[in-house]
Amino acid sequence: MKKNSRILLILLAAIVTLNACRPDKFEDTGAVRNVKTSFGGTWKLSKVTQKDEDAAQKGFPYSTLDLTTLFPYTDYSITLNVTNSGQTTTFTTTPGNSPAVIAVANGDWNAGPAQYPTYLAFKQGSATDTLTLGSYPAGGRNVLQLKKERRDASTGKLLVSYTYEFTKQ
Amino acid sequence: MNKLIILLAFSCLTIGALHAQNPTFSPSTYTAEDQVTLTVDVTGTPMAGEAEAYIWIFSNTSIDRSNAALSAQYPAADGSTNTNWTNSPPEAKMTAAGTNKWSFTFIGTQIFGQSPAQLKDFGFLVKTKTGTKQTSDYKPNFFDPLVFTPTMLRVFPAKVSTSDIVTINFDRSLGGTVNEQRMTPVSATVTAYDETNAQIGTAVTLQVRVFATNTWAATFIPTRHFTPGAGHQLTKFRYKFNGTVLDVSGNTVNVSSAEQEVTFTRMN
Repeated sequence: MKKNSRILLILLAAIVTLNACRPDKFEDTGAVRNVKTSFGGTWKLSKVTQKDEDAAQKGFPYSTLDLTTLFPYTDYSITLNVTNSGQTTTFTTTPGNSPAVIAVANGDWNAGPAQYPTYLAFKQGSATDTLTLGSYPAGGRNVLQLKKERRDASTGKLLVSYTYEFTKQ
Repeated sequence: MNKLIILLAFSCLTIGALHAQNPTFSPSTYTAEDQVTLTVDVTGTPMAGEAEAYIWIFSNTSIDRSNAALSAQYPAADGSTNTNWTNSPPEAKMTAAGTNKWSFTFIGTQIFGQSPAQLKDFGFLVKTKTGTKQTSDYKPNFFDPLVFTPTMLRVFPAKVSTSDIVTINFDRSLGGTVNEQRMTPVSATVTAYDETNAQIGTAVTLQVRVFATNTWAATFIPTRHFTPGAGHQLTKFRYKFNGTVLDVSGNTVNVSSAEQEVTFTRMN
């Protein structure tokens, strides 16, 4: 009788141990987030930095300059329209007296590549202006960072860049 | 109708010729340590129609030789191929690159025997072997700097296009003259030129701001201030800083810095 109880106890311990080894069930994380929806809204230009890329690459001093207060850049704002499903549609700019930021004033915009965008392209008729995208304005981050690169027309070498920081309105 | 077509074609050719750069360089930007090939069209010069051409090449042509500090920093030097004006060596012989066109390949530091820090620009002319015929000088042709050299006048960014934000800087501590070293700048004057070297509009006076100790700056956008005539383009600008000094009697005297020329870079 005592022997049977011991076997029963070992069996019970084995069942509990083996049962504990079963993997947990994880909840479904849902659909992949569409980052394009985070670009929607009106963005006001809050900071502009000019970089001499060639000087920076060579380690020269004077490689960046904050242009924000030198011209009325903070006049500039852009509205990016996007559907609830994350489809990019139209955009409009309000330049005020700001120097040119995006080469086209209004039209259609797109973010690419599709799932993890690295650039925003602004199109008006046959003209397109493409700016490199900084970090996504997701979560509590309400800053959209776009970079415009200027390259030597004959060699393609990167010479100058402008980094535009927009704050969501 | 045929006359109209010929006239139009001739106009296009003329405009094209006005816009053509001469000489051209491959690559278009190069440091003193890079190999570069220059190609020059000698049409319309005494060298036109010659069967052979030789180069006469020399460094640092843009330096104001009355400025002792700059002269010491950028000594003038002859190319190693400039051995004898009346009997150029085979090393100076240029390669035919088409009718009246000649090319020559070299490396700045090697041909001038100078360090990258000593080379700012170079000039050259095309001649016959015996020197009986020659072109005028083609200069200055600037090297892309490999080392940063502080200068009294500086443009930021170092390469700018006509639509860029351009900041011109004046560092009084690096002035070459007494007036430049004592001057307190109040304005900067910018003058723009097209590809024919004709001035575009009138000179623009910009307000200056203090950038750092002994340094003043002014910022502008070339296309906002200068509009070239139809068929022409903004090619370069010159700038200088204006200010005041006190003379020996304590009177305020208006003075200006030396002037610097900047050629626009074509960018996309």
